[in-house]
Amino acid sequence: MDDFWFEFVEITQSIGDGFLFGSTYALIGIGFTLIFGAMGKLNIAYAATAMAGAYSSLAIFIFFDASLIIIFIVSAASAAILGYLVYLSCFRFIPVHNHLAAMMASVGGLFFIDEVIVHTTRGSPLSFPSMFAEAYFEVGPYGIRGDLLFVFVIGLISTGALLYVLFRTRLGLATRAVAQQDVAARLCGMSIHSTNSTTFAVAGLLGGIAGAMTAAAVGILSPVMMLPLTIKGLIVTVIGGLGSIPGAIIAGLFVGSFENVVMYVRGIDERDMYVVALLFVFLIFRPNGLFGKTITRD
Amino acid sequence: MDYFLNLINTIGIHTLLGLSAYVLLLTGQLSLAQAGFFAVGAYTAAILTVIFGWNILPAIGLGMLSTGSLAFLVGFPALRVRGLMLVVATLAFGEFVRMFFYNFEWRVIQEGVEVGPEGTMGFSEIRYFAEHGWTNWEVTSLIWVFVVIVMALIWWADQTRSGAVLRAVGEDELAAGTVGIDVMVTKVAAMTVGGVIAGLAGGLYAHQITMLDHHAFTVLLATFAIAYPILGGVSSVFGTLVAVIFIQGLLVEGLRFLGDWRMLLFGALIVVVMNVKPRGLFDSQMLRWIKNALRLRFSRGLS
Repeated sequence: MDDFWFEFVEITQSIGDGFLFGSTYALIGIGFTLIFGAMGKLNIAYAATAMAGAYSSLAIFIFFDASLIIIFIVSAASAAILGYLVYLSCFRFIPVHNHLAAMMASVGGLFFIDEVIVHTTRGSPLSFPSMFAEAYFEVGPYGIRGDLLFVFVIGLISTGALLYVLFRTRLGLATRAVAQQDVAARLCGMSIHSTNSTTFAVAGLLGGIAGAMTAAAVGILSPVMMLPLTIKGLIVTVIGGLGSIPGAIIAGLFVGSFENVVMYVRGIDERDMYVVALLFVFLIFRPNGLFGKTITRD
Repeated sequence: MDYFLNLINTIGIHTLLGLSAYVLLLTGQLSLAQAGFFAVGAYTAAILTVIFGWNILPAIGLGMLSTGSLAFLVGFPALRVRGLMLVVATLAFGEFVRMFFYNFEWRVIQEGVEVGPEGTMGFSEIRYFAEHGWTNWEVTSLIWVFVVIVMALIWWADQTRSGAVLRAVGEDELAAGTVGIDVMVTKVAAMTVGGVIAGLAGGLYAHQITMLDHHAFTVLLATFAIAYPILGGVSSVFGTLVAVIFIQGLLVEGLRFLGDWRMLLFGALIVVVMNVKPRGLFDSQMLRWIKNALRLRFSRGLS
């Protein structure tokens, strides 16, 4: 009986920790889904720009010993700039209907960014300042890690800010208009290119924050994190439904908890396999994701 | 000479990989799963020759059968989604296969020596060619015989109704459906054929390179696989072959000038080509230009 209780506590603890960490996946998922919602295209280089943002903030930290706030701001800003550059190089000049070419170009962008980072850091993992790592709250048999809680709170604030921008500002209105029907938006005088580039930049901001969050929660930054983060972000976006922000949030938190429980039960080597298997389960039973708009046209 | 033959072998195997993605690209689907089928084909054929002592041709044959069945099974859930989601699904599948082999262990004692796949350490000592006295030229010929056969088969299929059906689905699924083409069957069939070809490539690869490591089967390989037909265009199989020669040659040359930075060049190259020629280097426009150029040359010679 004691054993069962112990297992139960350990598993719910994993779920809770994973839930808090899942906010990073949620932000990445929101980023992917924003771009997909606005342009109907996938930016495979997105998680790479997020991590590149984290790397630049780490550089600032190492050279200037910056404080917490500065780290996040630098990460967000550099990821936003990179996001804009990715838009210019991979999406701006490719014909609107050609989704595959744009996506292929963003894969090229992913390799490019990955190589630059690998060469600048000589491929070795770097330690990232972990914030509030010493804080640890005990609630009954459970412990809440301060750094995970911090990450979750940042996620909440960022999502809240994004929703505010999206639904209460003119920029957000333009973004939603272009997403719904770009021809009509153009007829109303909105510039598609400047709206889309702003969407990329905003997604980049979110990504930079997510990158810094992930690095802070894990404690290290390494180029080998780039691909799993991309894949998990994409999985979260697809499970939540392409184009749906609440879907991305819920899916991100869910995937975070799921993978943590799997890691507790089966170890870290097999963890990511189960996340992929989860994707396939969703593809079989709910291909449009939790809240996706039904895809009627390619 | 050995270095040169190695390059020729790599070009051959990558052409097969590109052709497996080509078949799928004809139906308008971008599949990043070919590296996964490649890995399954490689490990299956290698296990059969190393652990069970099979002859190489049946081993590769069974490898192709297993990847074909796997592709068939994967096709159904994966093809329920369109376009971009298919990319995500195939990307995830490819990573799943890689992680599977990262964890896969099957060690067997043979003549006092332990052989077999060993999880993170990979699968070494795939010594079939060495043990049976194959020369390097024979290995290269084997690979290229298969390349020529597959290219010929695809080219021939393209001249028949099958080719038209595949391309119809690729151009416009809705229109294809209205003329009575079963889109789902076509797509699953294309995926199965692509899987079989990738399995063939994998089986040849495993024995040529004599050791398998999960690092070889990453998204990078999957991207190469799809980059070849995208660069080469879907108008002709020869486009894929030229693209393979071009990219492999570029990377080899790039190694000389840029060393480790050549991946940067590869990434930048993809971005540039996609912007300049989104329909691939060898699209119908380019092919027409080539035909006209050749016609001019010949007519000048005759008159």
